[in-house]
Amino acid sequence: MMKGPESKSERGFRWALPSLSILGLIILMQLPYRISFLDNLLPFLPMAAVYYWGIFKPNLVPVSAVFFLGLLQDVLSGGPLGMMALLLILVRLFVVQQGRRFLEREFLFSWMVFFVVSLIFGLATWAIASIYLREPQYIWDALGQSMLTIAVFPVIVWGLGLFRLMLVAEKR
Amino acid sequence: MKELKHRFSSGFFIVLALALLISGSSNTSLVNAVRGQITDFFVPILSVASRPLQAVDDLIGWTQQVAIVFSENQRLLAENAQLKQARITSSQLAIDNQRLKRLLNVGEGQVNIIAAARVVSDSDSPFFKSVLINRGTDDGVLKGRAVINEDGIVGRIINAGSSSSRVLLATDINSHIPIKLASSGINMILEGDNSPYPKLGFLPIGEEISVGDLILTSGYGMVFPPDLPVGQVLEITEEGIKIKLSAKLYNLNYVSIMGYEIIRSPVSRPVSRMGDRSSKGRE
Repeated sequence: MMKGPESKSERGFRWALPSLSILGLIILMQLPYRISFLDNLLPFLPMAAVYYWGIFKPNLVPVSAVFFLGLLQDVLSGGPLGMMALLLILVRLFVVQQGRRFLEREFLFSWMVFFVVSLIFGLATWAIASIYLREPQYIWDALGQSMLTIAVFPVIVWGLGLFRLMLVAEKR
Repeated sequence: MKELKHRFSSGFFIVLALALLISGSSNTSLVNAVRGQITDFFVPILSVASRPLQAVDDLIGWTQQVAIVFSENQRLLAENAQLKQARITSSQLAIDNQRLKRLLNVGEGQVNIIAAARVVSDSDSPFFKSVLINRGTDDGVLKGRAVINEDGIVGRIINAGSSSSRVLLATDINSHIPIKLASSGINMILEGDNSPYPKLGFLPIGEEISVGDLILTSGYGMVFPPDLPVGQVLEITEEGIKIKLSAKLYNLNYVSIMGYEIIRSPVSRPVSRMGDRSSKGRE
């Protein structure tokens, strides 16, 4: 499912595709689904996308883009400004530093690492929200979001893989 | 060199995000204004993107209505008969109520619906409960206004852009709404705790409350007019009293933004001689 990095320089509108895909997932998360309890259990889709692009195209999702996309998610969701911006940058930083090691392995290994990243991400959102609201929040909601994110990760990898194919096709 | 630049860039944005996180809790007017402008820009996009969901929701609703149309008709016929009887009683009570209010010079609350709005976005977090609506200051929506739907209270406006506004839901941990027990009129506070069922606060010691009791707005706080349906007591435990809200906050489609102010009829007072003297003295 996962292939090695494409190392050639990126030109054209391709540079915007990864950021646009993250923006699309941010908007997808904001839509009113009108299903009870689903708003407590929406997966961290932009985080999964940052993780994916951090492995395959880190140069197309620079820290500045991740920061502004995270900030946009904070604004649209009504959460504290800077929370998602900070956490998404940290995810990108971790993945970029470890990226090559992931690429040498199979998808299953990457998924296992994502399992841990997603759990830590969920715990971090819970901790920041608890500090921000000055009251311990219900931790299982955040962990539930993490688990759902882990569950939908293969679908996200498949979807973003289509975007990546577009990048390759345009390069040809 | 490139590595150094990357590290500096990461460090800079991490510090910036932290600074925003720490300073953002103050929610200054500048921050709110910027938030408002960004949401104004994205609301049309969200509005278009949510149309397919709306269509699916409408289809499910229509299918459900068709499935229960016969039993629903029977129920409505029975309810209609009861309501006709209740209307006669309530009109008599309304006349009595008006007469007594005039006698006591009770300030009348003036309620006006400022705008109807569509919910275009839902917060994606279990820790922050709010929705975005497609009406803003251009439509007369202001910060602090009450938001309701056909079932009961929804929340209040916490940030208004020119064409969009953010509604803090009654279930959010920062939401505190003055309410009363319909049967006894005991005043309390409805406190959100980010769960679907907010809790009751400040129940006076010794007062009795039971599951199923009806909760209405008290009108204190001047945000919500009195006697709007809030919900019913769901459960009473040692941890607190939970309320099931009348409005389904997970299934909001259209809401109304409401203005409320007290208007007292002017009281004619005889002009006192003392007042005349003092005013003359000042001249």
